[in-house]
Amino acid sequence: MKTLLSVLAISLSAIVSANAAVVVIGNPAAGNLSANDAKKAFLGKGDSSVVVYELEEGNPTRSEFHQAVTGKSDSQLKAFWSKQVFTGKGNPPATVPSAAAMKSAVASNPNAIGYIDEADVDATVKVILKP
Amino acid sequence: MKFNLKALPVAISIAMAPSIALADDADAKIAKLEQQIQALQSQQNANLKDKVKLNGFISGAYISSDNDAGYNSADTSANFSEDSKVGLQATFDISDRTQAVLQLMMRGEYDWEVEAEWAYLSHRFENGVKLRGGKLRVPLYMYSDYLDVGYAQPFARPPEEVYGAVPFSSYTGGGVSYDVDLDDSTLTMQMFGGESKVKSTGTDVSNLIGANVNWTDETWTLRAVYGQAKFDGSVTSEADYTVLQLVDDTGSFTGVGASYDNGEVIAITEWTRIEVDAAYPDTDSGYLTLGYRIKEFTPYVTVAYMKTQDNDERLPLSQAAAIQMIAFNAERMAYSLGLRWDAIDNVAVKFDITYADDFGDTSGGFLNNSLDTTTGKFIYDDTLIYTVKFDAVF
Repeated sequence: MKTLLSVLAISLSAIVSANAAVVVIGNPAAGNLSANDAKKAFLGKGDSSVVVYELEEGNPTRSEFHQAVTGKSDSQLKAFWSKQVFTGKGNPPATVPSAAAMKSAVASNPNAIGYIDEADVDATVKVILKP
Repeated sequence: MKFNLKALPVAISIAMAPSIALADDADAKIAKLEQQIQALQSQQNANLKDKVKLNGFISGAYISSDNDAGYNSADTSANFSEDSKVGLQATFDISDRTQAVLQLMMRGEYDWEVEAEWAYLSHRFENGVKLRGGKLRVPLYMYSDYLDVGYAQPFARPPEEVYGAVPFSSYTGGGVSYDVDLDDSTLTMQMFGGESKVKSTGTDVSNLIGANVNWTDETWTLRAVYGQAKFDGSVTSEADYTVLQLVDDTGSFTGVGASYDNGEVIAITEWTRIEVDAAYPDTDSGYLTLGYRIKEFTPYVTVAYMKTQDNDERLPLSQAAAIQMIAFNAERMAYSLGLRWDAIDNVAVKFDITYADDFGDTSGGFLNNSLDTTTGKFIYDDTLIYTVKFDAVF
């Protein structure tokens, strides 16, 4: 029984950590980011000097990130951006195809932020928010 | 011989090692060059893509009704034109802070005639003030700015009781808006002024001026708006009879709205009051929509109402006043049951059934609902309309 419970606990914690694995990254020189500022940045609001990168549509890390940070599902996010675009309020952020591309984009611009799976973090970038 | 055989592979590998290392080195260099070229190319593409952006939306709708009262121009035969539309938008970035936006619309309702719905130049100052001039949307309602972008709306169409009350949706002029970034929300204040024309009647709308304020934290949205204008022109009946002549008559619009969307539960409500000089109707209207997202399905219900508030100004004391009474007095309730289905990427399919009744002693606001002079009653006392629609963005 005890073993069964601990197996259950391990698999549960595995699920939890898998869900919590996405992190917001910035340039190594960047300071930490608040959850509110992250939400604003990824919805095209707030400080306009911040350069935001997104993973491409359909990437599971992207969906996971938005669930945690902006609270929007894939179709809600699309509806949100179509509203912004067709009212001239803004355009969705540039996209990159992979975690590696995300890291090089963020590493090469001190104002850039993005997100990747925590497992992909290396010394070229800094984790600035764990949502 | 045995020794030689053993030594051979060793000798070969020793001999080949430098060349393998060399090849590795060359491969790495080539890969690096390829990466640089790719980066340069994408930079160039990005530059172009950053300067001009093209977007579009399209809606196709089938609507039909159980009678010919004319709710949203529906009748008993299938109508594929009324709610079908195409929009194409080009956004040109002139500088970091200045842009030109052109949105061309073609609507089945107007025989697919090409019209510029948005055509403006905007400039955002460093302090957050944004100026716009050109042809713009009249921002009276919560969905005014993206009235035709069905994909960005939960329902098949914004409730007609409320959105049908103002017969023009864009104006020529200017506007200034200011965003205040609060801790975890945004407050936007906007002022607008210009002129317009009512497409269906040719009524001139001048001295249009107004302001709105909008607060949102992306879950809650609250807004309030006031606008006024002067109207000149004749209001004619279907049979081209002049029901009322508007001469420099002032009309005002007051509205409040709120919405809530936590990703699962959606609630939207708006309430508006329109007051116009002379015998032109003063109308109150409002609606409440509730929806619930279950993965790609969002069922919703809407209850809406509208009622003219100045019926006592159109008492049938003369023939002209009696005709105004018949043409302008209006009230009704509408109940909608609908479903938004996010079928595939960028495409939503919507189903809606709307039932309207409680017309009182009025036409319910429907042009085709005429008074039967022998019975003293209007032909229809309710109507039901069906809508199947797709909304896409690209």
